[in-house]
Amino acid sequence: MADNNLPPGFRFYPTDEELVVHFLHRKDGFLPFHPDVIPDLDVYPYNPWELEGKALCEGSKWYYYSRKMQNRVTESGYWQAMEMDEPIMSSSSSSSSRKILGMKNYYVFYLGEPPAGVWTSWIMHEYRLPDSGSTSKSSSRKRGHPKLDYSKWVICKVYEQKNDDDGGDENDTELSCLDEVFLSMDDFDEISLPN
Amino acid sequence: MREKMNISVNGESRVPPGFRFHPTEEELLQYYLRKKVANDQIDLDVILEVDLNKLEPWDIQERCKIGTTPQNDWYFFSHKDKKYPTGTRTNRATASGFWKATGRDKVIYSSSKRIGMRKTLVFYKGRAPHGQKSDWIMHEYRLDDNTILINNDTHVTRVRSGDFIQEEGWVVCRIFKKKNHLIKSLDSSPINKSNNMALETHTSNMLDSPSDHDHDHDDQGALEQIFQFIGGKPQDISNNDINTTKSSNQQQYDRFLKLPNLESPNNNINLLVGSYYQTMPENDIASITKTEGDPDSVYNSAVGLSGLNDWATFETMASIFSPSSSTDHHHHHHDLDHLPQLKSSSSTSSSGDRIYHPNGGTSTLDNYGGSNEIDLWSFTRSSSSATGSFGIDPLCHVSDSGI
Repeated sequence: MADNNLPPGFRFYPTDEELVVHFLHRKDGFLPFHPDVIPDLDVYPYNPWELEGKALCEGSKWYYYSRKMQNRVTESGYWQAMEMDEPIMSSSSSSSSRKILGMKNYYVFYLGEPPAGVWTSWIMHEYRLPDSGSTSKSSSRKRGHPKLDYSKWVICKVYEQKNDDDGGDENDTELSCLDEVFLSMDDFDEISLPN
Repeated sequence: MREKMNISVNGESRVPPGFRFHPTEEELLQYYLRKKVANDQIDLDVILEVDLNKLEPWDIQERCKIGTTPQNDWYFFSHKDKKYPTGTRTNRATASGFWKATGRDKVIYSSSKRIGMRKTLVFYKGRAPHGQKSDWIMHEYRLDDNTILINNDTHVTRVRSGDFIQEEGWVVCRIFKKKNHLIKSLDSSPINKSNNMALETHTSNMLDSPSDHDHDHDDQGALEQIFQFIGGKPQDISNNDINTTKSSNQQQYDRFLKLPNLESPNNNINLLVGSYYQTMPENDIASITKTEGDPDSVYNSAVGLSGLNDWATFETMASIFSPSSSTDHHHHHHDLDHLPQLKSSSSTSSSGDRIYHPNGGTSTLDNYGGSNEIDLWSFTRSSSSATGSFGIDPLCHVSDSGI
């Protein structure tokens, strides 16, 4: 769906930093997009399985813009925050000049009504710009009292956590368990395998 | 709302932000390598030719940049023609080291049809046999022999046997650096440093997005691989018809048959656990053996280095050995229902089936034999002993199982 005229093999695989810098900052600042691929879905709180065909889908992940909101309630359930804030740091090489570009929150989708909802395997990463004026370190956000800011754009990345995959897109370039076994066996000269 | 994106990879312009070259193995073989072998025009020179003997891995990393986006892996074509003087093996030596094959080649499928093979190689600095293993890994993809014969006429005359052709012609390669998850994860989450290290690492791995390459047939769960290693052969049959499954199953099984025997059965499992999960310095054999009789150290490193899949593995193994808790466990975690890798294929005995099911309280271990059972048990004990410590996070659901 990330339809483009790139050759086969090119995919929308943004890093957290890219999402924040190239998409969230520009959205927030009304700057033109290049490319404009992530749609706005802040009007209607879709259930995660309804995102197909509406959000940008790449590799079983859906991307869309939304607004920061206190309760993400959909027709069939709600997104429960996991109280885990993660800063998105700039990847600048010198550690002194690294700064916080944005924040990332994790949500799990629950079917039903809080607090009795049934946990699902749908996960959301919500990217937002850093809270202005507040020090990022004192981020002991209390349960049920998130900052209310309806004016702020966020980017939501939604996917279904599956048990049968190997844990993450970064793992695509990772060795399999078996490779690691063979690799460590290579350390024993007497049992190293023939090519 | 979508605009045309004109890019030129090798020129001034660049890949749009957020996009990167992330081909599936199928795309690499079916599109890029097939075109290369057939001398067809490839729309963009995304994948360059590299003389493997002339470039070190870190040089390839420079040369095979695509645009300006950060990359974790680098792709290139290589023409295999040079041999070591002593034999038929491809010479992959560079000025400062050499690439050494490891493990067994993996079959690559495209919609259940075998299209090629993947070889895994490791870069060693120095000269054999005294090279020092590095973190650089290469996956070398080749098309199946017969397809090369069909598509590349110039090579037909030189081809004598199937063995020979494996060392001939074009291959497409991907190189990347082996990662250390523990360090990386801590590094990227400075705010979380004060929290429980293992928990943080575990959850951040868990929250990584799922893999996108569903046709990556070889991405089996650790549990399955360990069971395969031991003798059980659970297999995901959803992708293939039975025949294909059986043959690939047999191939995978074959490689275990060819594994050299280690000294004692106990070493087998400890090697498995230690080598896969432990953050160990290169060539540090002592750190593998250290894990013997120290289940907690195995576990801690396991949590640090493994993703969700391994977590599910532990969970399932724990449930296997705790029949009393499995019902409750199942009730809370319906997602265990669709663990494809935990289902046995028809080629496995029916008792094997029951073992992997979360609800199957009957832990029939008979078909694993006595010594292996002990190994399994020690492996599980180390995992289940620590599962209780994760009651904080909603996703750390193992705590519910009351093990």
